Amino acid sequence: MPAGSPVIEDAPRRAAVQLDGVTKKFGGSVALHEAWLKIPSGEFMTLLGPSGCGKTTLLNLVAGFLDTDGGEIFIDGTLVTETPAHKREIGIVFQNYALFPHMDVAKNIGYGLRMRGVPKAEIARRVEQALALVKLTGYADRRPRQLSGGQQQRVALARALVIRPKVLLLDEPFSALDKNLRGSMQVELKEIQRELGVTTIFVTHDQGEALSMSDRIAVMSAGRIRQIATPDEIYRRPADRFVASFVGDVNVLKARLGSRQSSEAVATVGGIPVIVPAGPLNDVASGAAIDLFVRPEHIQLAPAGEAGTLRGTVSTHIFQGGHVDVYVEAPALSRDRILVRLPGVDAITRWPVGGQVGLRFGTTDLTAFPVEGDPA
Amino acid sequence: MTRRPFLGWFVSPAGLVALGLAAALAAVFQYSLRAYIPGSLDVGGFTLGNFADLLKPIYGSAFLQTVALCFETAVITLLLGYPLAYALVRTRNKALKSVILIIAVTPLFLGEVVRTYSWMIVLGNNGFINSVLMGLGLIQKPVQFMFTSFGVVVALVHVTLPVMVIMLAAALSHIDRDYEKAAESLGAGPIRAFLTVTLPLSMPGIIAGVTTAFAWTFSAFATPQLIGGGRVNTISTLVYQLGFASFNFPFAATLSVAGLALTLVVLALLKRVMRPLEKLGEH
Ligand SMILES: Nc1ncnc2c1ncn2[C@@H]1O[C@H](COP(=O)(O)OP(=O)(O)OP(=O)(O)O)[C@@H](O)[C@H]1O
Ligand SMILES: [Mg+2]
Repeated sequence: MPAGSPVIEDAPRRAAVQLDGVTKKFGGSVALHEAWLKIPSGEFMTLLGPSGCGKTTLLNLVAGFLDTDGGEIFIDGTLVTETPAHKREIGIVFQNYALFPHMDVAKNIGYGLRMRGVPKAEIARRVEQALALVKLTGYADRRPRQLSGGQQQRVALARALVIRPKVLLLDEPFSALDKNLRGSMQVELKEIQRELGVTTIFVTHDQGEALSMSDRIAVMSAGRIRQIATPDEIYRRPADRFVASFVGDVNVLKARLGSRQSSEAVATVGGIPVIVPAGPLNDVASGAAIDLFVRPEHIQLAPAGEAGTLRGTVSTHIFQGGHVDVYVEAPALSRDRILVRLPGVDAITRWPVGGQVGLRFGTTDLTAFPVEGDPA
Repeated sequence: MTRRPFLGWFVSPAGLVALGLAAALAAVFQYSLRAYIPGSLDVGGFTLGNFADLLKPIYGSAFLQTVALCFETAVITLLLGYPLAYALVRTRNKALKSVILIIAVTPLFLGEVVRTYSWMIVLGNNGFINSVLMGLGLIQKPVQFMFTSFGVVVALVHVTLPVMVIMLAAALSHIDRDYEKAAESLGAGPIRAFLTVTLPLSMPGIIAGVTTAFAWTFSAFATPQLIGGGRVNTISTLVYQLGFASFNFPFAATLSVAGLALTLVVLALLKRVMRPLEKLGEH
C-alpha cells in the first residue's frame, strides 16, 4: 500500500470485518452505541462483557439478523449493511446449537453446501472432511438428539465451517457444557480456528475464557465498547475502571496523585511512591485523591515494619490448589479486604491469621483512575 | 408401576360417556339391519336389503361429494390457516396478534347455526358480496353462491379455521426461531429456509390439523343443510332427510353406519398418504 494516501489507508478492505460507528436501538433504548471495530483477517476477536451489554446485538448485526440504526458494516472490504443474512457468507454457532432436528448429522453439515448448489459428490467429500476436522468421523447417520452436548457442539461448528465462511460467529457456544468439557472444547476450537485461519468473533461473559482464547478482546459495557486490545494489555493496562474490575481480580486502594510526566505519573499509596500510566489521570489535579488498581498477584507480603511496606492484618486464607489467596485488612488503604495471591502452600503457615504483615507493591502493572463518581 | 390413585376417578366420567356412545351406536347398528315399513315408525324384521340399497348411484355420489367437500375444506383451511398461525406465533406486534386471535378464534364462540346464517346473509343473491359487486358495476346479475358446493365450502372453512390455526400455532410455537436463522446464515433465502426447515418441522401440526378438519367437516350438518339447501347432498344431510322427512329410520341408520365406516377408511388412507410427509419432520 503506497504511503501518503490516507484515503486508501483508511479503506476497509484490509479488515475481514469492520464496523464504522454502528448503532442499534430497541424502542427508545440504545443496545449498541456507535461501535467502531476493525478485525483483521484470521483474527480471533472476543466480545466480552456482562449480561445485556450488547454482545449478541453486535453479533446479530454482523450476521444480518438485525438492521442497523446508523453506521456501516463491511465484510472482506465489501459494504454489507443492507445485505440480507443469507448472502453474507457467515458461519454461526448458536448457543443452543440449533441443529436441524429433522436431518441427520451429514444432512445438517451439508445444508449450506446444498443451498449453494455444490455437486453431490463434492458435498459428500467435504462433509466427510468436516466430520474428521471435529473428530466425529462415523457419526454421519446420527440424528442430533442422539448426540451428547459436546458432540452437538462439534456438529454445529462443522456445519458453520464447511461453507468456508468469511467470518465465524460464536455466541457463548460453551455455556451449556460442564466445566471439563468446556475446557477441552476451548482448546479444540482454538486449534481448529488457527488451523483454518478463519476470522472469528467469539462472544462470552467469562473473562477467563476470553483471556485464554483471544488474539484481541473488545470489552463491552452498557452498549459501548470500552477497550479493544490484546488479552495481556487488557489485563495489565485496562483503559478504565470498568475494564480493570471486570477482567480479572483487582484491589482498589486509596492513593494520591503526585507529579506527572508525559506518559507516566507518580502516585503515593500510604506514603509510598508508585508509577502508574498517566493517560487515565489527565483531568486530575496534582495532589487529588485517586484509586489505585492492583492485581492480587502484584502484591508481595513481607514481615511487618520492613522498609517500603505498608502495614496490614491477615484475616483469612483460602487454599486454591495451585496458589493461596490471602485476605489482608488495611483500613488505611482500602475499605474492603485486600486480596493477595501467593504461590505455594507454605504461605498459610508463614502468614498466620491475625498476624501483622507488610504489603509491598510491584513497580509495574499498576493502574490508577479518578475516584468513582468523578467525571472522566 | 407407579401408583396413580386418582386415575380411576379421572377416567370414570369418560368411561360413562363411552358407554352411552357405545349403546347408541349399537342401537343404530341394530336399526340398520331392519326392514323399513312405509308409513309406519315401527320397523320390520332383520334384512341386509338396506346395505344393498347403498349401491344406488345417488348414495355413491353423495359419498363422493362428501369426501370432495371435506378435502377441499381441509386444504383451503390449511392454506388460510398456516399464514395466520405463522404470523400469530412469530409476530412481536401485539395488535396484530390480537387481530389474528380474534379472526381465528371468535368463530368458536358462535354456534354453527349462527355462523351459517351469517354466511347466508353474506352469500345470498341479495347478500353482501353480490350487493357490493353489483354496486361497483362489476356484475349485472347476482352470482349464485347459495345452494352451491362452493358456498358450502366457504362456510365450512370458517367453521374449521379456528381449530386449524390453534393446532398449527401449537406446532409452530415449538420451532425455535434459531433454526430459521441458522438456515439463513448457511445461505438459504427466507423462502428456502421456510421450505426446508420450518415447513417439515411443522408437519405434525399440519397432519393433525388436516385430519381434524377432515373428520369435522365429514360430520357437519347445519352448514351443508342450510347453505346447500338440499342441492348439495352430503351423507349427513341425506341421513337427516331419510330420518326426519321420510321417517325411514332403518335406511338412515344404514347410511350412518356406512358414513362412519367411510370416515374411518378415509382417515386411514389419509394417514397412509401422509406417512412419508410425517417422516420429513421426524426428530
Ligand atoms: N429484540 C429485542 N427487543 C428489545 N430489546 C432487546 C432486543 N434484543 C436485545 N435487547 C436489549 O438490548 C440490550 C442488549 O442485549 P444483548 O442480547 O445484545 O445482550 P448480551 O450482551 O448478548 O447479553 P447476554 O450475555 O445476557 O446474552 C439488552 O438490554 C436487551 O434487553
Ligand atoms: Mg447474548
